[in-house]
Amino acid sequence: MESNKKIRVLLVSDSPGHATGYYVVGKGLREAGIEVILGGFQIPPQIVKSAVQEDVDFIGYRIMDGAPEILVPRLVELLKERSIRDIQIIVGGIIPPPIVPTLKGIGIEGIFTPGTKISDIVDYVRGSVTPQVDRLKFRL
Amino acid sequence: MFKEEVLKEIEQLNKEYEANVKRVLKKFSTEEKEVKTLSGLSLKPIYTPLDIKDNNYVEDISSPGLYPFTRGVTPTGYRTKEWTIRQVVGLGTAEETNERLKYLFKQGQTGFSVCGMGYQPYESSDERSFGILGKGGVWIDTLADIETLFDGIDMSKISINQIGFSIPVFAMILAEAERQGVDFKNLSGTIQNCVFPFGEGPQMRGNGSVDISEYCTKNLPRWNHASISVRNIRDEGISAPQEIAFGVYMGSFTLQSVMARNIDVDEVAPRISFFLSSENDFLEEVAKFRAMRRLWARTVKERFNARDPRSWLMRFHTQTTAINLTAQQPLNNVIRSTIHALAAVLGGAQSMSVNSFDEALAIPTRASATLSLRTQQIIGHESGVANVIDPLGGSYCIESLTNQLEQKAVETLKELEDMQPQKAYQYIVDQGKEAGYLRQKAIDNNERAMVGVNRFIVREGEEGIDLGNTDILGYDPVWRDKQIERLNRVKKKRDPGKTEKAKRLLEDAYRNRINIIEPMIEAVKAYLSIGEIVEIREKVYGPANLGHVWGCYFGM
Repeated sequence: MESNKKIRVLLVSDSPGHATGYYVVGKGLREAGIEVILGGFQIPPQIVKSAVQEDVDFIGYRIMDGAPEILVPRLVELLKERSIRDIQIIVGGIIPPPIVPTLKGIGIEGIFTPGTKISDIVDYVRGSVTPQVDRLKFRL
Repeated sequence: MFKEEVLKEIEQLNKEYEANVKRVLKKFSTEEKEVKTLSGLSLKPIYTPLDIKDNNYVEDISSPGLYPFTRGVTPTGYRTKEWTIRQVVGLGTAEETNERLKYLFKQGQTGFSVCGMGYQPYESSDERSFGILGKGGVWIDTLADIETLFDGIDMSKISINQIGFSIPVFAMILAEAERQGVDFKNLSGTIQNCVFPFGEGPQMRGNGSVDISEYCTKNLPRWNHASISVRNIRDEGISAPQEIAFGVYMGSFTLQSVMARNIDVDEVAPRISFFLSSENDFLEEVAKFRAMRRLWARTVKERFNARDPRSWLMRFHTQTTAINLTAQQPLNNVIRSTIHALAAVLGGAQSMSVNSFDEALAIPTRASATLSLRTQQIIGHESGVANVIDPLGGSYCIESLTNQLEQKAVETLKELEDMQPQKAYQYIVDQGKEAGYLRQKAIDNNERAMVGVNRFIVREGEEGIDLGNTDILGYDPVWRDKQIERLNRVKKKRDPGKTEKAKRLLEDAYRNRINIIEPMIEAVKAYLSIGEIVEIREKVYGPANLGHVWGCYFGM
């Protein structure tokens, strides 16, 4: 990425409502100087369309009501169909631990579950740090 | 409440106490820290009669069951009626949800509360339901699904809570009650309805929320026609006084809007209920419930001149906070939710749902849902706190916090009342977004404690207590296929003549802006799907603006 070009992120969600995290992430990224387009509730075909139109670097997909193991692969597949390789997907929200390897298996590295700091997402978007999410076991 | 000379003695005593404190602080070479509640109220190290000297026991605190109801809405509290245990259920199709409900009833759940019903304005076969149907709640297309949902559940024996305020779903519930032979006069329940400012003229014709309340006041005497939900916005991060003020504002707006249809305040107010959160700050939360009860009573009596004492009562359901549950060390959430639930009980909740410990990870399993139920039962049956009404009432600290919260809420309420309703509602939404961000920042920079997140963290690979594999409820894609098939079956069985007639009648009703509830009952009885009903409405009104109802098809 050119250094003088602002990073652009399209934020979308899998359902309307209960959007606290969605707004928090949006505002946090903006405050860090990243351009954020709030796309709201969209289904994968719409997301691809919006991402292309908005010429974004990242799609930030908030998932709470839906099944990430279905929605995210669908989005990946649609991007592939259109040969879009320069848009990265990051996923946040309620991602059941057993689903994390599934998402990693299709190339999703930016997975942010509850407990994430805003700066973790900012760092990831700026290309420095990959988040750790290996919470497959109950621990005390 | 206290004699002058007693207060003087206490003042003297306090001086001695403060001197003692100074000595101790000096010994530990530390200074007195400023401590605040979660909502930012200053907290003293101790409270004494001096802090509540301006309270008048009879006017401000009074007995349970007497105005202003600070201590509770009934004289006997939980001694005569336990709060309703009303865990939220909603997964898969009506079949899966019915099964979970029946299981929970068997385990001692006492109320019905289902989420997901009629949230989306389209049929299950729409591509928008792909990967979503049945996850964030049960999917309902037609009355046939509601029949399945209530299969084996006697509606005359339980109180029903409809989460959200989908009008087609409300009509389906009433149609099902009719089928079960339950007289509407005996039907007991709540719809999470709240009037938002839209509709034609002073009577807000075409506003389905007002229609719901109007219909209920005339036909369903035991149904809470409004349940003012401030729980979810509290769970975005707003403060306790804001929760009170926003709730009282929205409750007042709802009350006024229904009264504008020439219905007396005492016919509307008794069946307005509230839906509140129960947050982390235990003492502040107990005080919050008390303060809000007092403020609502004062508002309805003094501002709206209600005469019937039932109008003055703030009855509420609580769902414990979810945003404070963590994905890290998830079993800690059991403890958190217990404290939240205890605050609600000490605050006098009428009904409660305790969040499950795995909700930051997935939909609750049967096991985690059971544990939430047991949490309530242990508080109710073992802890003894339910034996005394408002047991923390009279605590100098709790009474002082109650006063302060009410006072702050009154200030915010005044600001809201000075705005146009649309502006006020927008202000409420904006405050939620802003608060969510500030809350997250406070966690990120360690100002707000979150065990397992910014304190006492155990990272993968570090030493910690391993409790085995996570038992997580997965999403079943079959739910969607099954639901589409059900819908097709229902549609095939319909009489095309009757279906067309039902569509026409509903369209006329929308066009004439008459109260929509009765025509809607007829429409759902003809097994029109929610998707079809939305199409009919859109034909008349154009595409619906769902922005003010969280994007859900509510109140239309």
